Amino acid sequence: MTDLRLAIQRFDPSRDPKPRMVEYTVPRRQGMTVLEALLFARDYMDHSIGVRFSCRQASCGSCGMKINGRPRLACYTQVDELGGDSVVAQPMDNYAIIKDLVTDLGSFFQKHAQVTPRLVRSDAREQDNPTKEYLIKPDELSKVLQFTYCIKCGLCTSACPTVATDSKFPGPQALAQAYRYTADVRDQGGAERIESLDSEHGIWRCHFAGSCSYVCPKGVDPALGVQLLKRHVMSGKPPHLAEEASKEYRAPQTQT
Amino acid sequence: MSVGEEKAKNRRGLSGWLNPYHYNLERWAYVFQRVTGLGILAYVVGHLGDTSFFVGGPTGTGPSSSTWAFMSNLVENSFGHLILVLVVLILVFHGTNGIRLIVSELGLVLGKPGAIEYPYKAKSLGAVQKAAIGLAIALALVAMVWTYLILFGGTI
Amino acid sequence: MRESRLMLIQYTTAVLAVALVAVHLLMQGIITPYSTAISFSTILSIYRSWFYAIFLEALLVVVLVHGFNGLRIILHEWKQTAPWSRWTDIGTLVAIVATVAYGTRTVILAIFGGVSG
Repeated sequence: MTDLRLAIQRFDPSRDPKPRMVEYTVPRRQGMTVLEALLFARDYMDHSIGVRFSCRQASCGSCGMKINGRPRLACYTQVDELGGDSVVAQPMDNYAIIKDLVTDLGSFFQKHAQVTPRLVRSDAREQDNPTKEYLIKPDELSKVLQFTYCIKCGLCTSACPTVATDSKFPGPQALAQAYRYTADVRDQGGAERIESLDSEHGIWRCHFAGSCSYVCPKGVDPALGVQLLKRHVMSGKPPHLAEEASKEYRAPQTQT
Repeated sequence: MSVGEEKAKNRRGLSGWLNPYHYNLERWAYVFQRVTGLGILAYVVGHLGDTSFFVGGPTGTGPSSSTWAFMSNLVENSFGHLILVLVVLILVFHGTNGIRLIVSELGLVLGKPGAIEYPYKAKSLGAVQKAAIGLAIALALVAMVWTYLILFGGTI
Repeated sequence: MRESRLMLIQYTTAVLAVALVAVHLLMQGIITPYSTAISFSTILSIYRSWFYAIFLEALLVVVLVHGFNGLRIILHEWKQTAPWSRWTDIGTLVAIVATVAYGTRTVILAIFGGVSG
């Protein structure tokens, strides 16, 4: 098998004025993933290559990067599927570069946290000390299940054209999670989420370019969740139990 | 602070809007929707200007450079007609693709969330979207050719 | 105004614009042959019929509101500083009012301005 030409974008912001591409020639084998190629280069050719990874099986979401121009998980992308003898690895767009292929996902997690990504009960006491187990029927679960598969790798937000310029936009990952919890029949926090997303840099800055769903390695389809949520933002009501839930939520609360 | 601080921010910027290479058909449609929208707005504003010459009268009633005949002579030529042909092209694309976007953004025709199976094809980017974008392109081209025949065909 | 209200305006004007622009294009090239559609006398008769004058005014408002609001959305996505947002909003309103006023001036003068062909 021919060798693989692996071009890696090298950039240490504390030393380099701008990024540069460095090419490594790596022995290729069948079934080799891009992460394996990168680790070969790091272990045997240049120890200073910065690459982040953990599980090697598309479960942890650490190794998101731009491979041949598109955001992908390095561990989940085989060299063979890319075609050709060369692989170009760059850090994901829209995230600050820490070093080489390692990007800072801090703002991404912050956006995620801002949509209250958990089940909310209107009764604060119940929220803190639940009196029972909250169950969900299989058909109701199926409405939100695919969005729970998000591993927070950040590929979708890296692909999003709005995030490319709008630093205040929550991004596809956070919006899809907002839908995931708002559409859950056990949740009562939908009205509040909807209100915060119905803003200048909220959900309406999505124009359904669909790139998020195109690059998602887990089949979450964030664009679907975002569009489904838009209708409910338009009407101001959460998708399920719309009236009861919003009424109950808006009731004055004495406890915090 | 660090020398490469600006580069390190790494936000993609306007190229994220304008360059859909490596991405899906819907992303290309997004770019064209934006660009055609701006083009149409520019045309409409210009069109307000050229139609305003109507109040100058056909000829004779006002200064000659403010009359309808003056404006007609200025725009009724091959170049002016070529602009009209292109305007029809982008109008029909923007309109048809816009209907697709409204319907999709209200959560219709995208399919329902449900169990997902490898290889995880996104439901929202399914055949309906491809067909609707294809229809927008086809209608735009038909309208453009039709306009071309009307303006350059010499039949009317 | 809540952003969803602005988007509702954007969607509504979009649908209306598709219908109105379609009729406008058909009138200019298919129903009336292009060569006569832009003749002074044809246009004068259109402006002087109440139905078409109102039609053109509606087209004017719908397309300009949709167009400038679309531009506002693009500008908001481009930069996010507070002054930029404020001036974009103000500029959008001014642009809509000014262009609609200018187009309306043409319609009114064509009807009442003593233009004759």
